[in-house]
Amino acid sequence: MKNILEVKNLKVSFHTYAGEVQAVRGVSFELKKGEVLAIVGESGCGKSVTSQTIMRLIPSPPSFIKEGSILFDEKVDLLQLTPKEMELIRGSEIGMIFQDPMTSLNPTMTIGKQITEGLVKHQGLSKDKAQKQAIELLSLVGIPRPETRIKQYPHEFSGGMRQRVMIAISLACRPKLLIADEPTTALDVTIQAQIIDLLKDLQEKIGSSIIIITHNLGVVADIAQRVVVMYAGKIVEQGTVDDIFYRAQHPYTRGLLHSILRLDDEKGELVPIEGMPPDLLAPPTGCAFAARCQHTMNICLKEDPQPQLIQDEHNTACWLLDKRMRAGIS
Amino acid sequence: MQEITDNLFTPVPKQLNEQEKITRPSITYGQDAWRRLKRNKFAMAGFYFLIAITLLAIIGPYLQKNGYDVQHLTARNEMPNGSYWFGTDEFGRDLWVRLWWGTRISLFIGIMAALMDLFVGVLYGGISAYYGGKIDDIMQRFIEVVYSIPYLLITVLLIVMMGSGIWTIVFAYGITGWISMARLVRGQILSLKEQEYVLAATSLGASPWRIITKHLIPNALSFIIIQITFTIPQAIFTEAFLSFLGLGVKVPLASLGMLLSDGVGSMRVYPWRLLFPALVFSLMMVSFNLLGDGLRDALDPKFRK
Amino acid sequence: MYRFVLRRFAYMLITFWMIVTVTFVLMHNLPGDPFANSEKLSIEQRALLAQEYGLDQPIFVQYKDYLINIAQGDLGVSFAYPTRKVTEIIKQSFPASAELGMESIVFSVIIGLILGITAALKHNKSWDYSAMFIAIVGVSIPSFVLGPVLQYLVGVKWGILPAALWNGPSSRILPALTLSFMTIAITARMMRTSMLDVLHADYIKTARSKGLSQSAIVLKHTLRNAILPIVTVLGPITVNVITGTLVVEQIFAIPGLGKYFVQAVYSNDYTLIMGLTIFYSLLLIVVMFLTDIAYGFIDPRIRLAKGRN
Repeated sequence: MKNILEVKNLKVSFHTYAGEVQAVRGVSFELKKGEVLAIVGESGCGKSVTSQTIMRLIPSPPSFIKEGSILFDEKVDLLQLTPKEMELIRGSEIGMIFQDPMTSLNPTMTIGKQITEGLVKHQGLSKDKAQKQAIELLSLVGIPRPETRIKQYPHEFSGGMRQRVMIAISLACRPKLLIADEPTTALDVTIQAQIIDLLKDLQEKIGSSIIIITHNLGVVADIAQRVVVMYAGKIVEQGTVDDIFYRAQHPYTRGLLHSILRLDDEKGELVPIEGMPPDLLAPPTGCAFAARCQHTMNICLKEDPQPQLIQDEHNTACWLLDKRMRAGIS
Repeated sequence: MQEITDNLFTPVPKQLNEQEKITRPSITYGQDAWRRLKRNKFAMAGFYFLIAITLLAIIGPYLQKNGYDVQHLTARNEMPNGSYWFGTDEFGRDLWVRLWWGTRISLFIGIMAALMDLFVGVLYGGISAYYGGKIDDIMQRFIEVVYSIPYLLITVLLIVMMGSGIWTIVFAYGITGWISMARLVRGQILSLKEQEYVLAATSLGASPWRIITKHLIPNALSFIIIQITFTIPQAIFTEAFLSFLGLGVKVPLASLGMLLSDGVGSMRVYPWRLLFPALVFSLMMVSFNLLGDGLRDALDPKFRK
Repeated sequence: MYRFVLRRFAYMLITFWMIVTVTFVLMHNLPGDPFANSEKLSIEQRALLAQEYGLDQPIFVQYKDYLINIAQGDLGVSFAYPTRKVTEIIKQSFPASAELGMESIVFSVIIGLILGITAALKHNKSWDYSAMFIAIVGVSIPSFVLGPVLQYLVGVKWGILPAALWNGPSSRILPALTLSFMTIAITARMMRTSMLDVLHADYIKTARSKGLSQSAIVLKHTLRNAILPIVTVLGPITVNVITGTLVVEQIFAIPGLGKYFVQAVYSNDYTLIMGLTIFYSLLLIVVMFLTDIAYGFIDPRIRLAKGRN
């Protein structure tokens, strides 16, 4: 199966007045065509920076790409493209949905215009044709009476509706890859479910591959096929959804799973992971999770663990899985 | 990369209290703002210049023996020299002394305006916002109407009524000049009241007084300071304007505006009479503006990098 | 939208009425005698004049007459020029001031916008600094210093442009330029700040994610949103320009209203002062009203919200 995206050893840092903040410290993963990949992690782990770097949306300065490559559609390294070349890819080959629907739409432009813009630029459609398509898109995302809605402004839509509009905008040109950066975080729980269902539905219809960024494991279980778990700018574990939920190996992933309250849990206690993520201004030597891990060993403080294969596509970066430990740990 | 030996794979005892250590030192809002301001070279230049000017305004006149209105009829229209550092005007008055006196007067007017902003404007806006509802409505209507009356017109009318002079100008400001500040403060407090941290503080059991002093005011304070930094030069500018029209402070007092006006009148023949006041005046305006811009950037917590 | 307009209009009337009343009250509480400047008058002559000007009537009658007169567009007769009606003076000299003001506003807003936009787009590079430098100059050198300097250098010493008076198109340049500096400064700085704010907004990121070119983003998304705040200060800008004409007309000997206003203040010509004050106020109030309406049209949030009530 083809890979629509191959991220290799991506390192992204920011120049700040206090020094260099290493937001992404060597991230590698692949996305197969038609697949839904979830990137999970707490705030500040680098998931948003990673996804926005794929789109080259982060202003540079203050950001800069230290290392790495992002191979798109097995054809082109996105990090090597000129701004003009990147413009042609954005919106047409890769689309993006942002977190906050209240501020992500231009308040003084009609919804219709915001949808047709991309169509006119990338597909050269006439205004009329583009408008017709926009109406179709709006009904596709489940907005009633699209012919009237086309002429309205963002403030006339509710939060959930606006997010649907964002989805319509991002899918307008049928991109091969859709990046959804926390698409449901700012929405009510009931609306969240609707949006995720919509994304699933559209993915089948249009066939885009999706990267969904979230810190909500429920969303991951609902829509993703594979999962990447990030912590402090690195990937600590990746695998299929089942791998992660049923066979998690990394102490951090396990901690995340334990911290969710389950319906069938009688005790009903919340078990948080003690401590806080490290400051990426001065990342620790060794494993970044060592300070909070229950199973820290001396090696963890000295050397950064490399990804260890567990089986098939499931790997994790943890010294506990090193062959020297396999004998003793289950 | 050092050799990975088997013995490294042994557990490490936990020290739990280490984990909560936040590695970047935390600093207060004030310190953060000051540090950011310091990095803005232009703003700091403006700041130091203003300090220098104020000092000169205070001690400058004492560096010479002459009073600002003492006429030395034998030394009229002299170019800058050893005994008259900035030269003399057509009445033989020492321009060095007059310049710094003038600066004092202009600064005084600016400060009076700022004080009025502070006491009338802030209170008015604060009360209006704090009580909200009907009271706010009435107070706002009143402001809207008064706001439409141009400051200059009121000033001129008052001058006609009360005669020109420092106190007329100040009084005129007292009637209309503080309105921008009142509106600003009201806007700020209204939005601050709704902020979640106020709700959070209340739910933690903070008393209204604590909320006002520790939450509302410090956040509104930054806007107040910025506004004052722009009000002062505005007031000084307006006074200069009025002086030019002959409606400024009374002769023989000299404000920067008067000196500028005199200087303009004789600039072709005695250019230094315009040069020095113009330099001081312009640099003062520039400094206030640079400082104000710098403060605006430094005090906005959203800009923290 | 209609209710919005109507409300603003009503406010306009109320404010105008207040100004008219305040002017009246002030004028009638002035110390001294309106005839102090005239030659020695006998008591009978004073009584006659007082009767002529209606000054012997009780205050409420005077007020009523005053209001009626204003409604009919009669602002009385100048004390200093007894043969001329105030409205006539206004009609004759206002066009020059109006032209000066309009030229200045149009010129300076355009230049200010351009400077502000380029400064924001080339943030922290040399364009930004030079544009802001010009802006700073604008707020630090008063028009009554800049004017004479320009007058002397450009008009007299180099003889490129007319140094004074109001004859022919080239004589408009120096006065309009002098008047413009402050407005250019204000507009440029506001626009720069506004642009920078908008450029950092989330919806600009969305626009970029659609693959739009930088120029398309600036033109179609940024500008329209960035200009909104400028419209709100058009009112105060006009105020500044109008007050500025007082000085500029003096310096360049332009036969406009400003000249008369200053003279009226000097000579205690009460009717003229009152009349001009009322006229200027009316002007400013109308301008504020128009800019409020304009803002309501441009920002769809206001336009539609009011309409759907």
